[in-house]
Amino acid sequence: MILRTLWRHVACNVAMTLEYRGAFLIYMLNTIAGPLVALGVWLAASEHGAALPFGRDQLVTYYVLLSLVVMLTGTWAAMFVAESIRTGSLSPLLLRPVPPILDYLGNNIGEKVIKLMLLLPLVLVVGLLFRDDLRLPGDPVLWLLFALSLPGAAALAFLLDFVIGSLAFWIEDVNGLVRVKNVAGAFLAGQYVPLALFPSWLDGFLTAQPFRYTISFPLEILTGQLAPEAAAQGFAVQLAYCAALWGCYRLLWRAGLRQYAAAGA
Amino acid sequence: MSAIIVEHLTKTYRSYRREAGLRGAIAGLIRRETTVTRAVEDLSFTIEPGEIVGFLGPNGAGKTTTLKLLCGLLFPTSGRATVLGHTPSRREPDYLRRIALVMGQKSMLWWDIPAMETLLLHRDMYRLPDQEFRRTVAELSGMLEVGHLLGVPVRKLSLGERMKLELLAALVHRPAVLFLDEPTIGLDVISQQRVRDFLRDLNRASGTTILLTSHYMDDIQALCRRVLLIDHGRLQFDGSLAALAEAAAPHKILSAVFAEPPPAEALREATRDAVRRPTDDPRQVRLAVPRAEAADVAARLLQLGRVVDLSIEEVPVEEIIRVVFHAARQEEAQP
Repeated sequence: MILRTLWRHVACNVAMTLEYRGAFLIYMLNTIAGPLVALGVWLAASEHGAALPFGRDQLVTYYVLLSLVVMLTGTWAAMFVAESIRTGSLSPLLLRPVPPILDYLGNNIGEKVIKLMLLLPLVLVVGLLFRDDLRLPGDPVLWLLFALSLPGAAALAFLLDFVIGSLAFWIEDVNGLVRVKNVAGAFLAGQYVPLALFPSWLDGFLTAQPFRYTISFPLEILTGQLAPEAAAQGFAVQLAYCAALWGCYRLLWRAGLRQYAAAGA
Repeated sequence: MSAIIVEHLTKTYRSYRREAGLRGAIAGLIRRETTVTRAVEDLSFTIEPGEIVGFLGPNGAGKTTTLKLLCGLLFPTSGRATVLGHTPSRREPDYLRRIALVMGQKSMLWWDIPAMETLLLHRDMYRLPDQEFRRTVAELSGMLEVGHLLGVPVRKLSLGERMKLELLAALVHRPAVLFLDEPTIGLDVISQQRVRDFLRDLNRASGTTILLTSHYMDDIQALCRRVLLIDHGRLQFDGSLAALAEAAAPHKILSAVFAEPPPAEALREATRDAVRRPTDDPRQVRLAVPRAEAADVAARLLQLGRVVDLSIEEVPVEEIIRVVFHAARQEEAQP
């Protein structure tokens, strides 16, 4: 029943997103522009003799695929959930016999269906432009592991965002917190700089923190940076974070709903 | 078993106050004054299955808070509510599947897409068999005359059309109890009438228990045999509109229009038990007359000259309610 309702939420969101397809195309141009600029900077640095632990082909492959992973694991639930708690627009969702999180999850997946259709051609064009340096792995196992790591990465990012947004039950304005999380999160996820280019003394911290598992981890798998044990360990950490955040979400909502009393809730 | 049982229900809100302006904002960072508001206080009543009950009170009286407590949106501070044998605040899916709340000022329809998409979502959420769902949608959209609007994006609809579709979306799972918070707010007279007729037909055909708040007395008069009056979170009256009129307004309004203005002295004598109400027309006489005297006073008026129009009416409900709330406030002011 839950899956059928989720599917219907996704369908509604696909229909809704299609109404705004022009705006979403612009979002996707923005999504692909960031990594391209970063790629340009690193290529220039490398041509001017900067010693990088990443080869030119690794850099190109990383940044060409980055926008796809960023989009697929992207989340904006915190803003939505905080707003609905603050203004009381959560109430209609609470009257339904299904958990409100389904609404936000359906929105997340539904938008991504359309975004994927808009972004894929753009990524293909960029891939063709850089075809000489693009090194996509031929090993199907790497592709399979990459595909498996994406739902976990998206779930982790979504749950983390949802948990932060849920703090609006107690804090009137969580937008500042969300912004800090987005900027720090993007940095620590490898969205600006591949984590492999960070100083090596940070390795322990970078491996332990959750943001790695939202963007960097799938790309590390695909670009062949991970030994099998490291990949297995990565999946375990990703799953553990998801489970912990799920627990946080359940606890926060149980306590939060007891004092939900937005003006006009 | 009663559909709704409310026992000593109380809900308090805690809010922070601060002075306006920059100084107030800075002072508020250091010290905030906490205010506790009692939105609902020691409220008790029961509603039987199939009843339509009007919930009346001025703004801020606690009507909407009570509805929210009964829907499980809010946790009570103390006391107990039982609806269809469930405790609403537990928000059990089996409970939520049997109730609906329609808020005139909040939409449950998806704004950018046709209402049918929301209905299909409800079909899946409420686990409705497809055939039964199609039958219900056909029946309700026929009653509300909105069949042709199901495929139009909601944002393109008028307020009246949207409200009817809100009702349809709220009722597609055939709830046993329907809570309505200002369902006709902002609607034109024709749409208000259509919504009222629909609710009455629904109650007759399906036995749906309805608890309704409205500022439109026409809604209450057309639908509710019983009203609950609430002010400052407390129940002030529970009974029929007729009983309310008798209790709060021990007089009726007598109005007579003479062909020629009646002689002043004779009129004063004939209406000595009544209170004159001002009129613009010297040929018209309006009086507030004690209920028992109304017929006698009317007979005396008829002897004063040729009467072209005569009516004896109940005091308007708005006025009765104003009297009740005014009395309650004066009592509070002088404990």
